[in-house]
Order: sequence, then C-alpha cells, then structure tokens
Amino acid sequence: MSDKPAKTRVVILGGGTAGWMTAAALVKQLGHACTVELIESEEIGIVGVGEATLPHIRFFVESLGLDEADFMKATHATFKLGIEFHDFGRVGTHYLHPFGSFGAPLNDIPFHHYWLQLQSKGKGGELWDSSICNVMAARNRFAPPPPGSALYSYAYQFDATLFGPYLRDYSIARGAVRTEGKVVDVERDAETGDVTSLKMESGERIEGDLFVDCSGFRALLIGQTLQEEWEDWSRWLPCDRAVAMPCTPPPGGIEPYTRAHAMSAGWRWRIPLQHRIGNGYVYSSAQISDDEAADALVAAVEGEPLADPRLLKFRAGRRKRSWSNNVVAVGLASGFLEPLESTSIYLVQGAIAQLIELFPIGRIRDEDRAEFNRVTDAEYDRIRDFLILHYHATERADSSFWNHIRTMDVPDSLHQKMELWRRSAHVAKYSQGLFFEPSWVAVYVGQGIMPDGWDQRVATLDPVAVQGAVERMLAQISSAVDPMPDHAEFIRMRNASIEQPR
Amino acid sequence: MNEDGAIRSIVVTGGGIVGLSAAIAFARALPDTSVSVIETPVDPAALADRLPTALPEISRFHALIGLDEQELVRSGIATHHLGTLFRHWSASGEEWVHAFGAYGKPVGTIRFDQVWLRARAAVKALPFDRYSMGAALARAGKFVHPAQDPNFVGSRFLYGLRFDPDRYRERLRAHCEHSRVEFRDGQIADVERREDGGIAALHLEDGARTEADLFVDCAGPSAQLLSGIDDSFEDWGSWLPFGRLTLTSEASGDIPATADRVAAGTESWTIEWPLRGRTMTARIGREGDVRITRGRRLRPWVHNVLALGDAATALDPLQGLNLDAAHSAILLALELLPGRDFHAVEIDEYNRRAEQVTRRMRDFSALPYLRSGRTDGEWAQFVEREPPDSLALTLDQYGFRGRLPFYEEESVTRDSWAAAMLGLGIIPRNLDPQSREVPLEEAVPAMSRLAAEIEQIVAGLPSYADYLARMSR
Repeated sequence: MSDKPAKTRVVILGGGTAGWMTAAALVKQLGHACTVELIESEEIGIVGVGEATLPHIRFFVESLGLDEADFMKATHATFKLGIEFHDFGRVGTHYLHPFGSFGAPLNDIPFHHYWLQLQSKGKGGELWDSSICNVMAARNRFAPPPPGSALYSYAYQFDATLFGPYLRDYSIARGAVRTEGKVVDVERDAETGDVTSLKMESGERIEGDLFVDCSGFRALLIGQTLQEEWEDWSRWLPCDRAVAMPCTPPPGGIEPYTRAHAMSAGWRWRIPLQHRIGNGYVYSSAQISDDEAADALVAAVEGEPLADPRLLKFRAGRRKRSWSNNVVAVGLASGFLEPLESTSIYLVQGAIAQLIELFPIGRIRDEDRAEFNRVTDAEYDRIRDFLILHYHATERADSSFWNHIRTMDVPDSLHQKMELWRRSAHVAKYSQGLFFEPSWVAVYVGQGIMPDGWDQRVATLDPVAVQGAVERMLAQISSAVDPMPDHAEFIRMRNASIEQPR
Repeated sequence: MNEDGAIRSIVVTGGGIVGLSAAIAFARALPDTSVSVIETPVDPAALADRLPTALPEISRFHALIGLDEQELVRSGIATHHLGTLFRHWSASGEEWVHAFGAYGKPVGTIRFDQVWLRARAAVKALPFDRYSMGAALARAGKFVHPAQDPNFVGSRFLYGLRFDPDRYRERLRAHCEHSRVEFRDGQIADVERREDGGIAALHLEDGARTEADLFVDCAGPSAQLLSGIDDSFEDWGSWLPFGRLTLTSEASGDIPATADRVAAGTESWTIEWPLRGRTMTARIGREGDVRITRGRRLRPWVHNVLALGDAATALDPLQGLNLDAAHSAILLALELLPGRDFHAVEIDEYNRRAEQVTRRMRDFSALPYLRSGRTDGEWAQFVEREPPDSLALTLDQYGFRGRLPFYEEESVTRDSWAAAMLGLGIIPRNLDPQSREVPLEEAVPAMSRLAAEIEQIVAGLPSYADYLARMSR
C-alpha cells in the first residue's frame, strides 16, 4: 500500500452549479489524490434559476470551510425554514413543509399519532401549531437553532447563477484549472470505450482519467457519447417545461421560506432572495402552450418583472446508470426531478459525496460503479415517490392536468406507503435518503389524507398528561420565537446582507 | 388503529426470557389489552432464552419495561459486559477485543479506522483496539460507568449486561406479576385455525381453550405456531456453519471478568461467560448436545401470528446478538402494531423492516467464520464459501479501501465492523484517498496521547471486585 500513488486527472465538463460544486468538493477533500480541470463555455450558459435548497446544503458549505455570512452575501442568499404549498390538496388551502419536527414524542410515540387522537375528539388544534418552523415562518422571524438542537434546521434560498462563480473562485484558488471553450469531439479508447480526451474548438485536447459530466440536459458524455439509457418518469410527473422570470421584491419583509402555488397545468415557485424574487411556472406542455404559461406567470407575480420570461425544457427521469465507464454524471445530466421539493442541488451534493467515497484508486472498478449507481438509484426513487404524492394527494378536479394526476396509477412503492399511512398513520421508514417522517406527515395531512387509525399505544397516554405536554410544547415554541428577530433583520445582524461590505 | 379496531387480547407461547420480555412489553404498552403467557418449557435450542449476554441496547428495553438495572447488578443477577475478547481468531494470531462504543477519534469527517490505517502505513500504530476505552477496560477486567463529558475519552464506550439466565428469567417472571401478565401452565394440544388462515384459539392438554386477537410465538426455533401457517425459512447454515452446541456451567470465583471470551479451536470454538460465582461455557462445533438453528423465518408475522426470538431469527452465540435480535423485534412490533384485522399492508411493513434488522446481524455473525484468518481444520473451507450479497459487498468495499456500505436498519456500528475486520486481519488494500488529507504530523501524536490516556485511566481504576463491592453497599 503506497502513500503517494499518481494523482487521478479529473475533467469536469460544465461550469454550472453542479460543475463548480464538484470541483470545489474535490479540491477540498481529495486535493492530494486528484487534479481538477473544469471546462465551461460562456456561449452555452447554465440552467441555474433562483435556487432553493434543503438543509443538507449547510454541511456542504461547512465542509468547504466557507464563512456563512460571506457565502450569503456573495449569492444574495436568504434563510429558508421550509416550503409553503398552496392549492395542492384543494384550492384555497395551504401548508408548510417545515425543516423540523412536529411536536415531540411522548413515551416513544411520535407526536402526530397522539395529535390524531386529539383531533378525533375535536381537540389538538392545527398540526402546524406544533411546528416551530411554521410559527417562525408565519411571523417572518428567523434565528438558527441552538447548537446541538435537532428541533429544526434551515437551508438557504440563493441565486444559483452567483453560487457557481463563487465556488469557481474558491476552486481556482485551491488549484482547479478552468478552461473556457466548447467541446467539439469526444475521444474514446477503442477497446474499453472509456473517454480518453475531449477535443476543444481551439484544437486543444484535454486528457483525463475520470470525466464528470455536468453538462446539464445535453448530457454530452453520459448521454450523447455513452448512450446510457434514460428511464422516463413522465407518466407520473408530466411537467416538462418551466418558464422563469424574476421580479422586484414586495415592500415589507423577506419570507424565510419558499412558496409553491399549484396552477391549472402545474405549479409556480416563488423564492425570495435578498434583492429579488425568483418566480417560475413548471407546467405540462401537453396541457398549455408556452405563451399561455408565460402569460399566467406574468399575471401571477407580485412585483415588477426584472427580465423577460425564460423557457426551460426537461423531462422527468434518470439515467439507468449515472456512472458508466469512466464518466460520472452529476446534476441534470444524471437525472431530472422538478424542483417542487428543492431537490436538485441536494442530488448534486449526494452524487459528489458518493463520488468522493468511491473515488477511483488506480483503475475504476465495476464494483464501485455498481455501488455508486445503487445509492444514486435509491435516492432518485424515493424523491420521485415523494414528489408524486404532492400531485396525487388532491381533490382537485378543475383541469385535465389535475384530473389525470389525481386518478393515475402511482408506483407500487408509493401506493404501499400511502396505504400504510391511511390505515395506521405510519410512515414507511427509510434512514437513507431525503425525506423523513415529518416531511411525509406534513404532505399527507396538509393535502387532506387523514388516516383511519394511529399507534395503539396512544391509548396508554393519560389525557391530562397529553394536554399538559401539548400546552407546554406550544408555550415553549412561542417563548422561543418571541425574542427572535425579523428575518431581514437577522440577515443584517449576521452581517450577511448584500448591503454590507464583504 | 383507532380504538375500536385495536388488539384486545394477546397470548404468548413460551415461558423463557423472550416470551416474558414480550409479554411485559405488550402489557405495559397496551393497558387495555389482556396479555397471558402459556408457559411452555424453554426449548434447549432457543438461544435468545438461554444465553447470558446482552448488548448495550438492553438498557433501552429495561427502561421501557421498568426494570431497574442497578438493582439487577446489586442483587447479583447481572454484571457489566464491555465486549468480547477473541483468541486464536485472526490471521496474525493476536487477540483482539470487540468492545461496545467508540474506537479512537475521527479527524474531521475522516473515520478513525481510516486515520489508523494511514498512520499504520506511514509510521506505525498500536493495535486498533488500544485506542478504545471499552476494549482497554475489557482487557483489564475493570469497569466504570461512562463519563458524561463527551470530550473526555471516559465517555466514549458503552456497556451491555451479562446475567444468570435462570435468575434473570425468574426476575422477569416476578415483574410480570406487576405488569398485568397472566400465566397458564401447560402444553398446546391443538391449534384451531381461522378462515383467513390465522389462529382462532389454542387448545391446551388440560382441555382449556384460549382465544386471542394476537398469538405471539416465543417457543423457540421450531416456531410451533407460526410454522403451521407459514413455514418459509431462510437457512443461514452455510454462513454460520456450526450446528451443535454444548452448554456447561462451572463454579468459579465470585468476581467475573468484564469481557466475554471467545476462543477458536480447529474443529469448534468456545465462548466463556463469567457470571457471579460461576462461569457458563458454550462449545459450538459439529458435535454437541443441542442442534441449533441458524436462519430466519421469511415472514415472522403472518395474519395474527407473530414469531419472536429464535422462532423468528436464530443466530449462533458468536456475536451475542441473540437477545438483542428479540428485543429489536419486540420494539418494532410495538411501533408498528396493527389493528385487529391485521391488514396486509401493516404486516408487510413489519416483515420488511424485520428483514432489514436481521440481515446485518447475520452478516456480522458470519464474518468471523468466512474470514477467520485461519487455514487449519474446518476453517480453510469456510473462506471458500460465497458470502451473502450484503456481506460480499461489505467485504469488497472494506477490503478495497476501508469503506462500509450503508444498509437500512443496521444496528451494527461502523466501529464494530472496523474492530472486527481489523481484528481478524482484514486490512484494506488501499488507503481511502480522503484520509490523505489528514495531517499526520498532528494525527499521530494525538493517537499516541489517546492510547496513553486510556492506559493511564484504566490503570488507575480499582478492580471490578471493588466496584461491585461498592455498589452493593
């Protein structure tokens, strides 16, 4: 076992969020094991629209050793406590999917079980009263959880077009090489099929041992070159386009949460950054035209448009194999799930983490490729089910889009999960993957799927003790939130405002 | 389930530790449900009922059923258990300790076994278990309660319990009396089935007929109730290859050691459990008094029949997981307790998760057989055997670079896997590239300080005899 084998030459194709996140993580965590070269073309541009993230992003930011305030200033970021869904289960309703729990367990029994029993007796109030994130969000307050607290977490809402360049500076400062230009040809080993080099428009050839395909929907290496098969999920997730348009922020505060509004042929995001609101309408092109979608978006946004509507095309699904030969697809080249639950950057982060765990030592092994694909598939499949739930759990019958999605067959894995919930209020448990019990509970209850039963052990709880515990919990939440500053104020206190010098 | 459809009566068959534990747990969790135990005698092959050893997780179970651990120790029923000493069970022939709790200290996000491998390759390092407080205590035969301060090495270990099985069973039985559990003597003469395939009632030899909503089969590996309904079974005999066990007991000094002791021979292996005043020993091999089962029921829950303990999952004694497997299943059954109609969706979820819980227990138990490091006697052929898929992946990933793949519901910790792998002599062929970011000039002295600190703390502690004497005062 040698301590100093030759460095693996990593070539990253594509300089969007996925590309620069990959570069930054590799130079930071595997600087002794690899060289990193990233090819990007200013002509091609990137997909990045305003990005909402999940709490995992904090570990990424932390693992790079970035200063949170500096990172937030650079990306115009705000804090995020969850996603507020409007009109999904039924028009006129809304609920928050919080980055935190509902209440606290009593005698090992999760809160929602005894809350359901209280509900059956006309008591217990709203489930969301027991979510500190919801109380903070409703009052536009923000403060981070105390160190070590697992009560809630938070993420960021930031401008993805600024996040890439921020990580570019970081990566280049730590040794990554950036090459500007377009790839015109991909050269492969005749015997193994491995990619050996990328030929640039300038005539330059860039050789590598491992190629990371961050070329977005084009999937130049994993798709066009290696022809890795695509597994199509559009029968469950029919939205295939988005039109995006930022606007000025409304007067008043900045919400510490993202909003998702169900629309007649899809849904609309609203992501408040420090300086603007990101908006976009994700829709099914089978149901409405691009112009109709753009008009609907323009009509719906609250502020003054800051740009013309911009069109994006995609399809839901993933590659059968994200790692094939010596090409690893990260980001949209690997798969696409609409940003309903802000999962795009998380999937990038997950792929990078697996790539680092399974980073080649010498030649690439089949075993490591298979393991990467095993983990990646599980991530995609579980997120897919969670997204489908948002559409399927609805009473809406006001458009052919909702009629289709309400009545369609869902994957067996989701059907089982929903049946289990309906009967017993249990959430099928998985430790790996993204969404845990409170997330599923939020969507089920928020979209009106109320279970017939709950944990039998609830009957053992003394009603007076339950009442006392609920009251104490509500009091604790309000005494925790009362002193919290306004969200925008906290950004300034944190010295993270774009109005403050970097 | 809402209250109308709830399970109202439970009958447990099997009067051993598992049956009594399950009965108490159900009775205490479900005050409106009647729980009774048909005290069929303990099957000699029901190892979860017969072995004297339990993992640290037992403290959670004891808390749940209201059993006072301190009192168990003071009354001489239980002693503390810090891990297992493995002898003649590695490529190098060196002894090693699988202790509960942490080995060393990670550097940032780099796990300690990776740091250790790097240090070992670059300079030198002491054996892996020298960086574990629990292992050092176990070797020295001492005990102290883990400290509170997480920065202090004295907080980074866990302990299980070891108990006299007969006295522990008696203690559980007495505890049943405080827990609304009723008892029936006797043997089952006949099983009356329901139309849906479940069980309607049990007929006892004295002619009594006992109905229940739920029947819990804790009567040992033959799974008397469950096997009559669904006999599908996954045999693990290829991976846990020894099928016979002889259990003996000998008087010994009053003060036990704090580690279980395992020693491999050429045709068999032995494990010693030092109890107060006596030592229990098991010999496991091709010959022995009792034929033991190794495997699991594919569907431990079918209709209204739930199998627990050896009736559901039967492991050999090597990793001491037997009772832990039973406790995990009891807790899972409580968490997912279905309604009286036992709908397939709910039962399927129990069986899905139960499978995940036991899969890695099997793998961890199989590891020392399939990679014993020995080339003599029976051992040479075990290395040729194809491991179960999840263990094969673990061996490949650990052997190549020291990575451990993730598995749902796995209870075996990374530290435990690393301790066993490295103890057996499975040294990864490559350093994980991430570990090369660890600054050795800092990490190596920190490791030396840690080992010295552990040694010093352990040397300064009084003997376990003193500890027990102080406790009973």
